Amino acid sequence: MKLDPRTKLFMVFVVSLIVMMSAITPFLWAIRLSITLIPIILMILEKKYSSALKFLLAYASALVLMFYFLSEQSEGLIASLLIGYCGIVVQFMPALITAWYVVRTTKIGEFMSCMQKMHVPDGIAVSLAVVMRFFPTIKEEYSSINDAMRMRGVMLGGGNVLRMFEFRMIPLLFSCVNIGEELSAAAITRGLGGEVKRSSVIELKLGIADFFLMAFLTAATVIFVVFKYFL
Amino acid sequence: MSIVELENVNFQYKGSKDGSLNNINLNIEKGQTVLLCGASGSGKTSIIRLINGLIPHYYSGELEGDIRVAGHDVKKTELHELAGTVGTVFQNPRSQFFSVDTDGEIAFGPENIGLEPKEIKARLNDVVAEMDLDELLGRSIFDLSGGQKQRIACASVAALLPDIILLDEPSSNLDFDSIELLRGTILEWKRQGKTIIISEHRLWYLKDAVDRVIYMENGVMAKEWTGEEFKGLNEEEVKSYKLRPIVLEEELIRDIRGESTSSFCDVENNIELNDFFFSYKRRPYLLFKKKFKESDGDLLNLNIPSLKIPKGKVIGLVGPNGTGKSTFLRCLCGLEGDCKGAIVSDGKIYKARQRLKICYLVMQDVNHQLFTDSVKSEVMLSMKDEDEKRCDEILESLGLLDYKDTHPMALSGGQKQRVAIASAIASGAEILLFDEPTSGLDYSHMEKVGELLNELASTGASVIVSTHDPELISECCDYVLGIKHGKAVYLKENKKL
Repeated sequence: MKLDPRTKLFMVFVVSLIVMMSAITPFLWAIRLSITLIPIILMILEKKYSSALKFLLAYASALVLMFYFLSEQSEGLIASLLIGYCGIVVQFMPALITAWYVVRTTKIGEFMSCMQKMHVPDGIAVSLAVVMRFFPTIKEEYSSINDAMRMRGVMLGGGNVLRMFEFRMIPLLFSCVNIGEELSAAAITRGLGGEVKRSSVIELKLGIADFFLMAFLTAATVIFVVFKYFL
Repeated sequence: MSIVELENVNFQYKGSKDGSLNNINLNIEKGQTVLLCGASGSGKTSIIRLINGLIPHYYSGELEGDIRVAGHDVKKTELHELAGTVGTVFQNPRSQFFSVDTDGEIAFGPENIGLEPKEIKARLNDVVAEMDLDELLGRSIFDLSGGQKQRIACASVAALLPDIILLDEPSSNLDFDSIELLRGTILEWKRQGKTIIISEHRLWYLKDAVDRVIYMENGVMAKEWTGEEFKGLNEEEVKSYKLRPIVLEEELIRDIRGESTSSFCDVENNIELNDFFFSYKRRPYLLFKKKFKESDGDLLNLNIPSLKIPKGKVIGLVGPNGTGKSTFLRCLCGLEGDCKGAIVSDGKIYKARQRLKICYLVMQDVNHQLFTDSVKSEVMLSMKDEDEKRCDEILESLGLLDYKDTHPMALSGGQKQRVAIASAIASGAEILLFDEPTSGLDYSHMEKVGELLNELASTGASVIVSTHDPELISECCDYVLGIKHGKAVYLKENKKL
């Protein structure tokens, strides 16, 4: 299914909003859960089955743990670690997974075109696009560095947490800075940064799925806010 | 009519002597194809950067003299104003893409100069038809091979319809067949009357395309040939300029393309490889993965049931891109855990994780495998028991002793490579693997790497080096191992120079 980038951005906004507001009644929980299901369904439609399943399992187990095994009276180290873990998964993972979905399925060209439609200045749009462009690069570089560490048997930094971190970050930073520098040189020789208003070859159009999803998201937000604060 | 004019140009980068230029006077006529050759750091890239304006607008330094490109005074012209006039294809395909998808990348330039969507689409279609790129459309840049990336880079430059096209060592990361395609593209541009300026170490693919050849030495234009004169240079002359050869032997070409008709020669003192099977297309099992077998056939990206390779020799690993060379190296050294192959050396069997202990892979981008803050601690990190004396010995043998306390990232590319080799030796690895160690190197650096590989082999290590570099093979390889479609297809002895 092809969604308009504007719908996707709206979805990131709504999912983050609702997930961050604490749900107190079962009804509010129901809304929150149905919102969380949206990125999962979208991932399944994109055939990312294993990611969808992993996320679903992590989320479900965190929920079950939180409701049946933990309470405000829980004490001890394990319980407090679990509360931390469940809290992070339940609070942040839906937003994170939505953002991941958006980054994975939006082409840079679509994103730029969307920014132009929304009259975002080119400077901001380009910077955001470069950030998006960099995710896969970081992933690629990181996995090469990981390989090198495995080969040299320094995955655990000799038991030193700081070195474990240092060994990964230093080469990663160096190569990202280098790539970034060459990337911008290549981009400006092709006219980026001119005074001319950029055009876009991709013409965006909102489809039925976009309207349906936006309506659903808006309705969910309104109901959530009304039930939480006004009733 | 001159389209590029450099008059009395002097340039020096801020904080570095490398690549500086001395009194450059160069006029290039419209429609000419010019080759810049010479050692690394001789100023080839700096000339390219003068013409596309990256000097002085992006890379700063001290610049004197006049630069005029197609009527623009480059010093006073903003970079984006040159975009429709000068196009540049860069060396590293990894870092010249703005988009993640191929279509978006080709449209990127025209979008920047604000063309109408209709016009952009028309240009996109023209370029795609001209360069035969249909099969590459709609793909992610990250899934393309080096050669395919470079074709997209050429297309995205061509979409801006520049009169002048610059190429900065475009063949560095390409295999033979991709270089042939690149040559086709350059010839097509030449036919269209574009002015083309190429900085390059590999010369054989350009000999019929160029009108002028300029030889750079220490920032000076030391020599100039016409295309005809250049073609007529004999082997001795080419060598005396420390240039890579202009003509390649037919047999060598067959070898590097993995098309030699040889079979497997016998080797007595050998290392045995058994059951090396691997596939990137993982089976859709959620909970466990199946072991790969020979019967998986076409699914396999690596399919080597058994192979004997010579011990204590330098073995060139050849074959086209994307055909299994890197996979072979990764599996051999144990980086791909799903490959269950075993190495038999001196009667000992090394499986799975043990392979990591006797193999060491020097990666193409050595920056990925240098972690610490000094050359010395880099070598120490590889030792099981830290031994300073041994460390000094190793550094001495590689000419790195003076850099003992230097930060590895402050070294030159060749020195970094030697640091990686030093830590490989320190780890006690018997099998040293090199992934394209000479891509983008000039003749003398390549020669040095070749000598070093030979020295490593003479200490008893088996050296396997994957390469597209015919010169490196004739320089240092004792054997050539051909890989095609994941299978070993031949192992032949190689006549070294």
